[in-house]
Amino acid sequence: MSTINVKVAAIEAVTPLIKHFTLVHEDGSELPSFSGGSHIVVTMDAEGRTYRNPYSLMGSPTDTQAYHISVRRQESSRGGSLFMHEHVHVGMRLKITHPVNLFSLSKLAHKHILIAGGIGITPFMSQIEDLKRVGADYELHYAFRAYEQAAFVNELEEMCEGHLHCYADSQGERIDLNALLSQQPLGSHVYVCGPSPMVVAVLETARNLGWPENNIHNEEFSSPPVGEPFKVQLAKSDIEIQVPAEMSMLEAIEAAGVKADSLCRGGVCGRCELTVLETDGGIEHHDHYLSDSEKVSCRSIMPCVSRTKGKRLVLDL
Amino acid sequence: MVGSGAVLSVWLIEEINMERGYWIKSKPVYTSLKWHEKATSHLVLATGIGGMAVLKLFQQMHPTQPVKVLYGKYGQMDADYSDTLKMVVPEGLHIHKFDDALLTQFQLELRDAQMGLRIYVAGSEGFIWDVVAAAKPFGIQEMEIMKEQADTLARSVYCVHCKTISKYVTTNITACCGCERMLFVRDHFSRNLGAYMGLMVDAESPGELPAIEEIYP
Repeated sequence: MSTINVKVAAIEAVTPLIKHFTLVHEDGSELPSFSGGSHIVVTMDAEGRTYRNPYSLMGSPTDTQAYHISVRRQESSRGGSLFMHEHVHVGMRLKITHPVNLFSLSKLAHKHILIAGGIGITPFMSQIEDLKRVGADYELHYAFRAYEQAAFVNELEEMCEGHLHCYADSQGERIDLNALLSQQPLGSHVYVCGPSPMVVAVLETARNLGWPENNIHNEEFSSPPVGEPFKVQLAKSDIEIQVPAEMSMLEAIEAAGVKADSLCRGGVCGRCELTVLETDGGIEHHDHYLSDSEKVSCRSIMPCVSRTKGKRLVLDL
Repeated sequence: MVGSGAVLSVWLIEEINMERGYWIKSKPVYTSLKWHEKATSHLVLATGIGGMAVLKLFQQMHPTQPVKVLYGKYGQMDADYSDTLKMVVPEGLHIHKFDDALLTQFQLELRDAQMGLRIYVAGSEGFIWDVVAAAKPFGIQEMEIMKEQADTLARSVYCVHCKTISKYVTTNITACCGCERMLFVRDHFSRNLGAYMGLMVDAESPGELPAIEEIYP
């Protein structure tokens, strides 16, 4: 995949756990334009390994001078976010992919209901710019633990002018999803980005209230979970690869020099899908791409987020 | 028959059409009406013989959520289920003589409706796509509407030359009601227009026409 060389122009600590990075083109030229909800994959060359993490672009889609991403520090993860927090400094060069949008706004919607949890606010920040530009009707519902830990509340209040509704868990405030989704006009679309339980709750509530699938959109930024180390055999390449606990299978395959396709690296797009030739049945599917029946059949795996607990896994690669 | 260019290629496409297993993606596939389990209210529209599909819906069950049925008693085929529907649908039944009155009420219903309303339609293909067009300004996408084709197979045909739509065409070749060109009725369907594409059949050799047959009775 073709990459863009960028330079870190600024780093700002938004909260104790969230840092905002401003990226500009290495040679000062314009960056590709994008649509609200797009993400990029940032390649980080750490000592001994390469991290590739997807981050939503949160700046204005019309601003091609700089890209803005925000990274929440995840202590118990593979280490990409820690690298961004501890090793990335102003002036440093990074490689990023071209923006890809797997969480785009519906152009046919009459009203947009945006629901964000925590750092899941980021894709909505670029979407709001798009919505404001076309004068679309929208509501943003933003839930977080506490005001002290919530990112961008002031910016959003200014951007959204009355369309913003905040919910602080520390003050016992919760989004009443049933009330929210049962009183929306025809042609409404709902979008959710946040932690898994929140995404599941929104999807279930909307479906139970009879919202058509087409009107429900979600982006679950699942980073590859840490698991047990295991071995995987690549049949065509004829090699066996050790996948460490805090590395995804896709990263391990890439580190071994085997070419594997990928796009979102978060279990959403399906691009990295691999055929399972043999398994003793212990696949832990963490993606949101395969259907439930496909997951049970164990014929495919998304190496960007999924792992095995079994002893034997042979892939057609 | 000798032809070339666009006219010939259409013929070739339609020749292939006859082959087993051929299927053009744009041609809608309809279903049998079945209640959505998850909904906050239901709106059922039918005309003529499409009333049978409504009766079958109520054979499945009477949903717990509010239901409204809009029925047009004059479909293309001579079948009026008004009396039976009055017995089977206990409340929320509205019977109209004409389709336009039915569609006007449909749009009034949509004006105050909220997400969770599920829409069902049974009738001729022309009626189905009239309903789709009436729902579109309310942000309802056609795939959200459950559709059962009942009544005639007659097609609405869009003339690609003068852009007029001829309604209730039952033959493979028809004269355009706008420009009077003789049009070959393709399987290529536009969901936006709710019509099949009609292409001039004798452009290169005027007056030379294949046999005209009623294949969409």
